[in-house]
This record gives sequence, C-alpha cells and structure tokens, in this order.
Amino acid sequence: MHLTKKSKVAIIIGLLPALVLYILFAILPIIQSFYYSLMEWNGISDMTFVGIDNFKRLFQEPLFWSSVKNNVYVVTASVLGQIPIALFIALLLNRKLKGVRIFRTIGFLPVVLSTVVISLTWSLIYNSKNGMLNELLRTVGLDGLTQNWLGDTKWTMFAVLVTIIWQFIGLYLIIFLAALQNIPEEVLEAAKMDGASEWVTTFKITIPMIWSTIIVAVILCISGSLKTFDLIYVMTNGGPAHSTEVMALYMFNETFSKLNYGYGSAVSVFIFFFSLILIFIVTKVFKGKMI
Amino acid sequence: MKRIGLIIFGVFMVLSLAACGSNKDSSTDGVIELTLWNDWTEDRPENTVYKEIIAKFNEEHKDIRIKVESIPHDQYETKLRTQAAGKQLPDMMRVWPGARTAPLAEGGALLPLNSIIDHWDGVIPDSILQDYALDGNYYAIPSNISETSLIYYFKDLLQEVGYDEFPSTYVELKKLIQALNDKDITPIALGNKSIWPLQSVYISTIADRHTGSNFLKEALNGTVSFENEQFIKSLSVIDELTKLNAFNEDMNTIDEAQSRSEFIKGETAMHFAGSWALGPIIGSVENLDNIGVAPFPTFEGGEGDASKISGVAGGGIAVNSNLSDEEQEAAFTFLKYYYSDELYQQLVKANIIVPADVKMDDSIPQVFRDANSYAQGGLSPVYDATLTPELTDMINNGLQSITLGEKTPEELAKEMQKEWEKKK
Repeated sequence: MHLTKKSKVAIIIGLLPALVLYILFAILPIIQSFYYSLMEWNGISDMTFVGIDNFKRLFQEPLFWSSVKNNVYVVTASVLGQIPIALFIALLLNRKLKGVRIFRTIGFLPVVLSTVVISLTWSLIYNSKNGMLNELLRTVGLDGLTQNWLGDTKWTMFAVLVTIIWQFIGLYLIIFLAALQNIPEEVLEAAKMDGASEWVTTFKITIPMIWSTIIVAVILCISGSLKTFDLIYVMTNGGPAHSTEVMALYMFNETFSKLNYGYGSAVSVFIFFFSLILIFIVTKVFKGKMI
Repeated sequence: MKRIGLIIFGVFMVLSLAACGSNKDSSTDGVIELTLWNDWTEDRPENTVYKEIIAKFNEEHKDIRIKVESIPHDQYETKLRTQAAGKQLPDMMRVWPGARTAPLAEGGALLPLNSIIDHWDGVIPDSILQDYALDGNYYAIPSNISETSLIYYFKDLLQEVGYDEFPSTYVELKKLIQALNDKDITPIALGNKSIWPLQSVYISTIADRHTGSNFLKEALNGTVSFENEQFIKSLSVIDELTKLNAFNEDMNTIDEAQSRSEFIKGETAMHFAGSWALGPIIGSVENLDNIGVAPFPTFEGGEGDASKISGVAGGGIAVNSNLSDEEQEAAFTFLKYYYSDELYQQLVKANIIVPADVKMDDSIPQVFRDANSYAQGGLSPVYDATLTPELTDMINNGLQSITLGEKTPEELAKEMQKEWEKKK
C-alpha cells in the first residue's frame, strides 16, 4: 500500500514537465484561439471585442464553404482511397514473396519524402505543356485525354487528390503489415486444415483480426486530412481561382495574408469542432463492429 | 525524505524549463548589438552588396555590432507579421512600402525616422521617400526602386514577324501577338500561380493608363467607384489577352521565376515583369544585344499619363520603436552609414534601379539604362502597395478567375466595390 502510494507521487512528478509543456504549447494556444475568435484584430494594433461576429461572417462566406467542401473531398478520397489500397497491398506483401523488402521500401518511400519535394515533383508531372502525364498520353495516342491538370478548375482537385492518396498509402501499408504479421500462424494454419479458401481466410479471419488497427488508421486518416495544408500550399496555393482551397489554407490566408487574426481564429475553432465531431461519429459507427 | 527530494527535483525541472525564455543580452563591455532581419538568402549580387556594406560597418564601428539574420523571402513577411503579433520584432527589419508597412506603423511597432530624414535631402527625391511615409512620419529609407511593369522581348523574334521596334500602342501590340501566334511562337511568358503578377505587373500600369494616377486614391476614399468604366476596361484587357492566346497555356500552374526562365530559354517572344527581372535576364541571356526592354504601350481613350509606368520604392530598413536611447542612436548611425552613395553605386553595378541620381559608366548594359530611364517619366502607384490586403487578395484571385473564364471584369469590379463599402 505504502509502496504504490509513493510511486504514484513519483509518477506524477515524473509527468509534470511533460504536462507543463503540453499545456503550454498545445492546450493554451487552443484556448487562446477561442479567445481571439471573438475579437477583431490585425495582429498588431489593439483588439476590439466583436462577440460572435466572426462566426456570423464565416457562415455567410461562400469561399469558406467551398473550402469545407474541398476538405470533405480530401477526407473521402483519403479514407476510401488510401485505406483500401494500402490494405490490399499489405495483404499481397504479407505472403512469402520474393523481394518483399524492396516492395515495402518502395511503398514507404513517399512517406519519407518531404511534402515540398512531392508537391514539386507532381507539379512537374501534371504540367500541361511538357509534363510526364500528358507526354505519356500523347505517346500512346490518347491526345484527347490530355488536360491542363492543375490549371483547369474542373481537374485540379482531382489531380491534387491523386497525389494525396499516393503520398500516404505507404504509411498505412506499414501499419497494416505490422498488424498482419502479428496474426498467429496457428490460426491461419487451422483455417487451412479446415479447408478454408484463400478468399474466405482473408475476409473471415485476417481482416476481422486486424479490424481495430483499421479503425485507428481511419481515424488517423480523417484527422490528417482535415489538417491537410502543406501539399496543396506548394502545389497550387489553393488555386486556380480558389478551386483547391481547403480550410487550413483558407485560415492561413485570412490570418497571415489579410491580417484578420480574429476571423482566422474563428476558422481554426471551426476546424477544431469539425474534426472532433467527425471523429466522434466514426468511432460511434465502428464501435459496434470492433472485436 | 526521498519524496521531498523528488518534489524538489520536479519543481526544479519545471522551473528550468520555464526559464528558457529569450532574455535579451544586455550589452556587454559597451558594445551595442542590434539584430537586423532581412530576406537576403538568395545568392544575388544586390544581396552581397547589402551584406558587404554591413560587414564594413561592423569593422569600422567597434562599439556597434549589427547582427544579420536572413530568412527566405516567401516566409519572411509571414514571420514578421507573426512576430509582430507576439511583440517580438527584432531591432531593425527590412520592410516594403505602403500597405505592407502600414499595419506595423499604425500599431506603433516602428520608430519614425523624422529626426534623421534630412540626411538624405537632395539625395533621394521626396516623392520616393513618401512611399514609406504615413501621416507625416517616415518609417524607412528605400535602397532601390522597383518598376513593376516592363516588357522584355527578343529583338530577333519580333523581327521575324516584321517588327523592328516594339509597338507603342495596344492595338499594335495585339497585332504583334496575332503575328507571333501565326508563326507558332508563344507571345508572352506568364507565371501566375502565385497570383500577383497579373495584378502587380499588368493591371498596375494598364489601369493607370486608363484611369489616371489618382484613381486608386479616390477609389479608396470613396469619391469614385471601382465600377468605374475605365477601370473595368483595364480589367477587360486581361480577358482580351487571354482570349488572344497571348500567354503560355500553363500560366496558372507555374510561378513567376519559372516563366522568366521559359523566356530566357527563348521559348517565348516576350515577358512582362518588373525591374527585379533585369539582373537575372542580364546574367543569363547569351546575347544581351538581342534583348530589348519597352514600357507598356498606350491605350486609346485612356485618361492616364502614358509616360508613366507603375513602380514603388523597394525594400527599406525600419527600426523597432522599443529601443533604448542608446540603441536608437546606434541604429541611426548605422542607417546613415548604410544608405550612402557607395550603396547606390554598388547597386547600379548589380543592375538594381536606385532612387538616387548615380553616374553610370559604359560598363552598364543598354537594357539597364533603358529600364532605368523609364522611371524618369514618374511612377504610377502599384496596386498591391496601395490597396488594403483584402482588396489585393480579391483582385489577385479575380484576375486569375478572369483568365479561366470564371468571372467577368464587371463582376470583379462589383465585388471590389462591395468589399470596400463593407469596410467603410
């Protein structure tokens, strides 16, 4: 009894520095954002209290809603693109395949590359005049399919989404591979003895056994997609004509380019609650299916 | 007893972490250290000039030390604004004129330089010093002038389609564009991904030719509307040029520097840019005699002065308002030393257009002399140095939408007027 009590104090004291840092650099700024969101402030002069005016303006701003819409595209594409593709590749790589290591490295490479490098490389690929994609289409005689990928508002969001999916497949691939390799051999062997086909084993045993990992991946994916900023910032800067602007980019431009710190903070607060609600829904929906 | 030891240890940890704040060094052994922030990270001749003069200053002044901290240009202003919000500006910082400095000056973050401004009497014309003035206070001394609307062209490509001289009217320019297109030569290299070139390079002068130089001032104090017919006409020029296929098709996906290198490679006949392109073009074009530079053509029925092109004082150094008397004195000593004849001489050699009257010897290329001479007709205001940040953002994005056919010039003008009325 005495011993645990003593170690509890030790644990608390041990955690204290980390806690202080966390409060200082994570919790406090969030509270500050809430405070700023009620102000009109250009970042330098005195603040004036405007109540919920910033939020009223936010809800009436069509540009903001188009950025929310684009964000929803990013979330959908990430969840429906990254996770299934990563899972598929992981299942393939989990077999006794020659050169698995090389494939794993190749798959993980985009995750390690800096986003700026990825953005610039893909911008070159998408370039309408001499980009690789259009060159390829021309070479195989599909001239009709060439597009001004990043310059035409019809295609930009699509082009950006492809890059985002490509960038993060590797991350989930590694997570899924780790989970797959933790499935005990005996279970799979037993299934084989019972005459279960490959197909059945995969859907009835393997996937259910890593289901909790998949849910974690989905949640990571959603929160990551809502924060997405750097790739789009470098690739298109939200353009042309706002067609690829997402919430974080909109917030950044309002706050730092137009010096509307108050309004920008209101956008941050919105992103905060939006993420919270979305993640809450996902955990509720999937909870029943967890093993 | 052990427990107390642990508590003391924990408290110590927290305190030592909290004490990591940035306490400024008090001046040791009488040397005053001043930090100067700038964006001189690129390896450009003018940046070397700036740094060399500071190094020389440090050598000659044993009691003052200028500490230079360089931040890449694209992040520089963001950093400055963020630090200003946190009240952590450096002792001196590079700033840009007009609307970009105004928030800092209005917020009381900058020190007025009125007490030393006489030092540059007769060196820098007051009309250029005014770019850094706000309510009668001067906040920085410019080191250069930035002309934002120059037309660079290849003489041989123009000759190929029958032009020995650059067209002086817009109607002629359109014919030239047509002729180049007929020969499968892309007329103008444009990189508008960063959305400011169409506004800063094109509209600043095109609109001035239509509306006259008082338009922006009057529109901002409400005597005329942005829905002014002449202003809409100038926005339509962008629409018309796009429809004439005057630009490279990837104009909205490449940035300004990329379009400049397309031009330098000879893939287009013309490139519209500012005086910032002079150095790179002079430095990397093989046959410099083949490059011409022209002012913007004139527009029939325009109300502006056709001898003007848009331009503004370039970067200057501003001083933090929170300095002690001693530090202020040191900063002033530095500014007087820095903005000297030597600086301007060196800058001209680095192909930078300067506000001071400098003698030029034969080593200065003709292109530079031509570009320099266009500043003599007087400068018309640059839009992003004059408009509020919101209006700048609106016209930047609006012009891009016009090139994509998603907005008409009338709609953009209407939008700007609405935004202005909202702020009123």
